[in-house]
Amino acid sequence: MSEHDLAGENIGLHRFAVFTALTTVFLIFVGGLVTSTESGLSVPDWPTTYGWNMFTFPISKWVGGIRYEHGHRLLASGVGFLTVILAFWTWFREKRKWVRWLAVAALGTVIAQGVLGGLTVIFLLPAPISTAHACLAQTFFCLVISIALFTSPAWKRELPSIGESGPGAPRMPVLCALTTVAVYVQLILGALMRHTDAGLAVRTFPFPLIPPFDSEKVAIHFAHRVGALVVATMIVWTFSRIYSHYSHHRLLFRPAMTMLALLVLQIALGAFTVWTAKGVLPTTAHVATGALILGASFLLTLRAFGMVSKRQPAAIYPFREPAWK
Amino acid sequence: MQKRFLIVCSVSLLLALAGCGGNTDTGIPPASTGGAGNAPTGPVAPPATASVAGKIMFEGTPPPPTKIQMAADPYCAKNSKDPVTEDVKVTDGGLENVIVYVSSPVNAAFPTPTQTVEIDQSGCHYAPHAFTIMVGQPLKIKNSDETLHNIHAFAETNPQFNVGQPVKGMVNETKFDKAEMPLPFKCDVHKWMSSFAGVFTHPYHTVSKAGGAYEIKLAPGTYEITAWHEKFPPQKQTIEVKDGGKADLNFTFKAAGPAAD
Repeated sequence: MSEHDLAGENIGLHRFAVFTALTTVFLIFVGGLVTSTESGLSVPDWPTTYGWNMFTFPISKWVGGIRYEHGHRLLASGVGFLTVILAFWTWFREKRKWVRWLAVAALGTVIAQGVLGGLTVIFLLPAPISTAHACLAQTFFCLVISIALFTSPAWKRELPSIGESGPGAPRMPVLCALTTVAVYVQLILGALMRHTDAGLAVRTFPFPLIPPFDSEKVAIHFAHRVGALVVATMIVWTFSRIYSHYSHHRLLFRPAMTMLALLVLQIALGAFTVWTAKGVLPTTAHVATGALILGASFLLTLRAFGMVSKRQPAAIYPFREPAWK
Repeated sequence: MQKRFLIVCSVSLLLALAGCGGNTDTGIPPASTGGAGNAPTGPVAPPATASVAGKIMFEGTPPPPTKIQMAADPYCAKNSKDPVTEDVKVTDGGLENVIVYVSSPVNAAFPTPTQTVEIDQSGCHYAPHAFTIMVGQPLKIKNSDETLHNIHAFAETNPQFNVGQPVKGMVNETKFDKAEMPLPFKCDVHKWMSSFAGVFTHPYHTVSKAGGAYEIKLAPGTYEITAWHEKFPPQKQTIEVKDGGKADLNFTFKAAGPAAD
């Protein structure tokens, strides 16, 4: 029995959850690549691939748009498999019941995500299903991040307390939560914009600041730009608060700093997406960076709430005897 | 607790398997009525004893054909004889691939042709690039390439479909229930592949050939004729044709000039 296990810390499970989260980011990037290259329907059938079993589809036939769509399906299957392992591992090694159910929720989400992905192909990419597919991906990512965080040694025993609340209103954890909600809403708008083909409804950036509203697509596009402004304000506000009062708490400062750096990158990528008329790389990187901002914001929020609440030390998480022993 | 977990896992697995039992049918959904869904009802059409013919002229310098990067599919890169875009094809001052059709109401019932219209995927291009067909007339879609294609019909009035043809020689057949103009086809595997169809309830339509020439045989009467091209705004003209007569009707498409200040 390892030292980590004795302390109630299954470091392997934590690392596996982190690996699953990283793979999920890559999967979101590849998913973005499918949309950016307009390859979503290059494989017309699902779950088969041109009649082949998905896993036996010959590599020699990975041509054109098929490379992106089929690659996305295989990678998604891989993430699904990782999630199955994560769910079983968590269920049998984790003492906290709610963490176990969190892993089950992640498993259910990844299955629902796979089914949505299939449905959007079968129904020829209807915007509501494709948008739901994009948003559920972000939800799944947040679930895996939370599992990774809750199984981390820092969460289990080293999380310092910052007191019941910090200075300023709203309270710092609430501010972080509001930022996360703003980022998530912005991701929904972004997904809607991508799947309604409104990405170039306004072909210039940053002007006109207020475009002529001559179509629904312009309204969606404009909403995404306004959303970017709101998210930028929230992130800068959150970072300022943490920088001013909690900069010595690296568990808060690091994700806040990361979030701010990603925001700068994200705005630049958004601008390049318009300037390059939806060039594949900036557009796809914009999608993946959006997911990373959400991840950083969500992580910060969970830690912020964890550090204000009264938590007990790791002693309450003893090693759980595996069920099969 | 473990029993509950196993139940949840089993339900999840069943859901996943249900998803896996999905769509392996790559056929095109059949036309619901076998054709003639919105075909005009009325008197039996008079014989087509007149015709309208002319040339689709192109004024200005046509944009040079763009070379298509086919590296994404080695088969296409090797086998495409003419890897250039075919959206604006001008020969002898005439524009090809213009769909010319009677756009005014035709109040007569026409028999549905039994002759099959064929669209082939050859050398990673659609042949023809533009074609016309009648409601209920059979359309044969063929893959002559040793690579995979998907045929994605971006229909708005008719049911949209997307089918795969992974093997050389594969054929799918379909019919359209309703008139639709234009009805674009696209291959999502090879982005450069596109084709346009015009689906009509009458037989008064054609596509301009090399040199921009076209001819439509029709019954005597007065008609609005539309010339449609994928890159330019459509043009309309009205003409009267008499029994046994042949009316001349030319259209002129202009190259896009410099943007206005």
